[in-house]
Amino acid sequence: MNPTRRLGWLIPLAEREFVLGDLEELYGHRPARLALEIFRVGIVLRLHRPSPLSAPRFPLTPRTTFMDHLRSDLRFGLRQLAARPGFTALAVLTLALGIGASTAIFSVVNPILFESLPYPDPDRVVQVGERGTDGSPSRTGYATFVDVQRMSTSFAALAVSSSWQPTLQDNGEPERLNGQRVTRDFLSIFGVVPALGRDFTTEEHVRGQHRATILSHGLWQRRFGGDPSVVGKPVTFDGIQYLVVGVMPKTFENLISPSTQLWAPLAYEASLPWACRTCRHLEAHGRLKPGVTPQAAGRELDVISGRLVAEYPTSYPTAGMVVTPLQEVLTRNVKPALLAVLGAVGFVLLIACANVSSLLLGRAMQREAEFAIRGALGARPGRVVRQLLTESVMLALVGGSAGVAIAWLGLEGLKAIAPPSLPRLGAIGIDVGVLGFTAFVSLLTGLLFGVVPAFATARPDLFAALRPGGRHSGSRSRKHARAVLVAGEVALAVMLLVGAGLMLRSLEKLLAVNPGFEPKNLLTMTVQTTGPRYSEDEPVWAFWDRTLEAVRAVPGVERAAWTSMLPLGGNFDQYGVQIEGKLLSNPEDAASADRYSVTADYVQTMGIPVKRGRPFTAQDNKGNPLVVLINERFARLGWGGEDPIGKKVQYGGRDRPWRTVVGIVGDVHHTGLDQETAPQIYIPESQGHFADGGMDLAVRTRGDPAVLAAAVQAAIRSVDPTQPILNVSTMEQLVSGTAQQRRFTLILFQVFAALALLLAAAGIYGVLAGNVTERTLEIGIRSALGASRSEVLGLVLRQGMTLAAAGVVVGGVASLLLARYLERLLYGVRPQDPLTFAGVVILLLAVAVAASWGPAWRATRVSPLEAIRGE
Amino acid sequence: MPSYLGEFEQLVLLALLRLGKEGYGVTVRAELLDHAGRDVSLGTVYKTLFRLEAKGMVATHVGEPTPARGGRRKKHYVVNARGRTALQRSLAALRGMSRGLDPALGAP
Repeated sequence: MNPTRRLGWLIPLAEREFVLGDLEELYGHRPARLALEIFRVGIVLRLHRPSPLSAPRFPLTPRTTFMDHLRSDLRFGLRQLAARPGFTALAVLTLALGIGASTAIFSVVNPILFESLPYPDPDRVVQVGERGTDGSPSRTGYATFVDVQRMSTSFAALAVSSSWQPTLQDNGEPERLNGQRVTRDFLSIFGVVPALGRDFTTEEHVRGQHRATILSHGLWQRRFGGDPSVVGKPVTFDGIQYLVVGVMPKTFENLISPSTQLWAPLAYEASLPWACRTCRHLEAHGRLKPGVTPQAAGRELDVISGRLVAEYPTSYPTAGMVVTPLQEVLTRNVKPALLAVLGAVGFVLLIACANVSSLLLGRAMQREAEFAIRGALGARPGRVVRQLLTESVMLALVGGSAGVAIAWLGLEGLKAIAPPSLPRLGAIGIDVGVLGFTAFVSLLTGLLFGVVPAFATARPDLFAALRPGGRHSGSRSRKHARAVLVAGEVALAVMLLVGAGLMLRSLEKLLAVNPGFEPKNLLTMTVQTTGPRYSEDEPVWAFWDRTLEAVRAVPGVERAAWTSMLPLGGNFDQYGVQIEGKLLSNPEDAASADRYSVTADYVQTMGIPVKRGRPFTAQDNKGNPLVVLINERFARLGWGGEDPIGKKVQYGGRDRPWRTVVGIVGDVHHTGLDQETAPQIYIPESQGHFADGGMDLAVRTRGDPAVLAAAVQAAIRSVDPTQPILNVSTMEQLVSGTAQQRRFTLILFQVFAALALLLAAAGIYGVLAGNVTERTLEIGIRSALGASRSEVLGLVLRQGMTLAAAGVVVGGVASLLLARYLERLLYGVRPQDPLTFAGVVILLLAVAVAASWGPAWRATRVSPLEAIRGE
Repeated sequence: MPSYLGEFEQLVLLALLRLGKEGYGVTVRAELLDHAGRDVSLGTVYKTLFRLEAKGMVATHVGEPTPARGGRRKKHYVVNARGRTALQRSLAALRGMSRGLDPALGAP
């Protein structure tokens, strides 16, 4: 930003336009110099108002340069800071906390919000999705992708990817990996090539010749010892040989799927049943051609989509495609929280500044005589201001250096509590950019907290200051400034506390939400069948049956069941559902339902209430009529007032069989406690269209579920030791995991609010302590005239409470205005929640009383005799 | 009551005379550096210009905004009759006082 806008106010208004114009003419191309010069001219003009009566001043030394001044200022400043180690340590610590917290938060926020993505021409990398009925982008089907790729001219590269979880069976323990199957040009979207070997050849993207893989740097290091000769060698995934053709560079960050460890060709053909238009399981990304904006590409795809909808009207719910810059896709969900945290840390920094400013003002009272003497010897006020600013900037720089250390420590903690939804976690760290930020912030804070005391001190009243015993005369405006600073600190602390309080209440409300099942004493894990033995459905079903028996035999296990997905487990599997007698002409308009393919005991194991009808039994298997359970929301949406039991539904397409509703169960929160529940259907696993290759196990235990984790895994391994077991966790951990982003924001707000409270309390204490010292004589006289201890106590306490009350009022009003910016981060509480506000006010006033107590008590100890003698 | 000029005020007035219509903050400072060898801050120049204005020794007028100045206007300073008189008086005094002192000053 142009410094003339930021600093222009320093120049007296009457001449501002002309002076700023001159300065811009001279230094306009060097913003830093420009800012400095505005500052210098501002100081000179403000301090030397033109007056024909102003006496001539004589410099003490004939000619001194800027550097001479700076050197002597620095030397003198250092001596000053060293002479009062207590003051210096307090100020440095305060600044280190403020600057350190800001630095840590900035280093988290920087790679996500401010840095561009780590790809060449990052603005050209976009996500492409079909427009859903609600306008948001959805995944796409292969047939659609092929058409779009053929017709579109906006993209330099366009590719789809699908997640792939192969099990690596070479080099030790079987391990399930996270991979991506991709089409040609996938790597060109990100502008990368493998560091070793090569990209997939065109032939390798053809079905039948697609057994090739590229490894990530991490996987190559860990499982292959970083051996370059692995390129060209075969590896076995799921019992099938793949040829390693390349290794990606270490620096490549796969932001669309950060856990990806390897890649293989997708190799779909249009004739495959899962390559259809409605098989929307592929993620599309692209690199725009130079000069093509995402909006322009979106318009082109809208036209193409319109043509496709005209040709295949039953394959799309609505026309249109959405092109979104990848940066926006990645940051959309975390942006409000990060901005709130950034704002909060800014408040902490401001409070730290106010605190040090107040400390310096207190210091300045003690140094009044010093400045008076310098003034009398001919020092211009400008020199004194410069001296003081040099000292405060030195303080800030020392504080900033200590702050970097604090930030470095804090970052480890931040990373530990960071929610998995935070993108670019690996890029978070203290780098040159962050250090630059810290240096800038330190300088800025130095000037910010230094400027008030400097100007308040620069023109002391010579006579008053030098008069013996007159140390507090002429310092009225300074005391006033200190009080305003402290009240401001309190106001900022109120705002932070309100933010923290609102978030705390949100989290409480959220965790109090009934998930729809009983999360206590529930152990969960995922088991994946892999290898050629499980390529048919029958052995897979048999495996699920046998492992379930083994798990049920473990002592301490009450019930156990398999399900194709667990609520709050991070998976989702939705199918369009149709109701008999209410068929929709376009099957794409059908409501989507979460589909759970479960074994007989599932709803009982999970503790999902059966509202009407019956749960599944062991008899609901292949030979018997097809049945489903539905949730209450589905019952309401599909049948309104009618009774759905005995009615028939169909899912996954028109050609699928009809199934009879036998029971209605309670709604379950699937994607998150703060998310609305979708219609849900439950199918007996043995009546499914196919066997699910991977299932989640739910085990209801008698005691602590974590204790049984090892025994349950052993039971599964006793059936087949080669099948990987993943995601072992208690249900309570899963539930609390869904609130992780909220918890992250909350913890930060709590830390900042606590810091703010501490600093504000220190500020109140400092002002009152200084005041009591100054008023020793007055207090002594009052006591001598018969004021009781409690009256003296009240005198000081009242002063402290006035400061706090002023801050609370200002902060409360500001919070009311600002809290709505937090609305997106809240759940179940209004931004103006009266309970939170009341709690904050009480807490702050209590802290203010505590902070005032010390000085007040000291005032009661003042002995009238000593006080008078002291003068 | 006649006004007397400080040394720096004299220099600034002389600079303005040299500059004719082109006198404003930036050019005055440059002129002082070029012809008097004085490297002073802009703040000092303004301070003096404002004082001369307050003493009624310069006339000012405001020019047109230019892009190089961020769209801001220029304030021009021109020495007026009162300023000219004061300068003449100062210079005359200086000449009178220094007459015949060249040998004492060690000047050529």
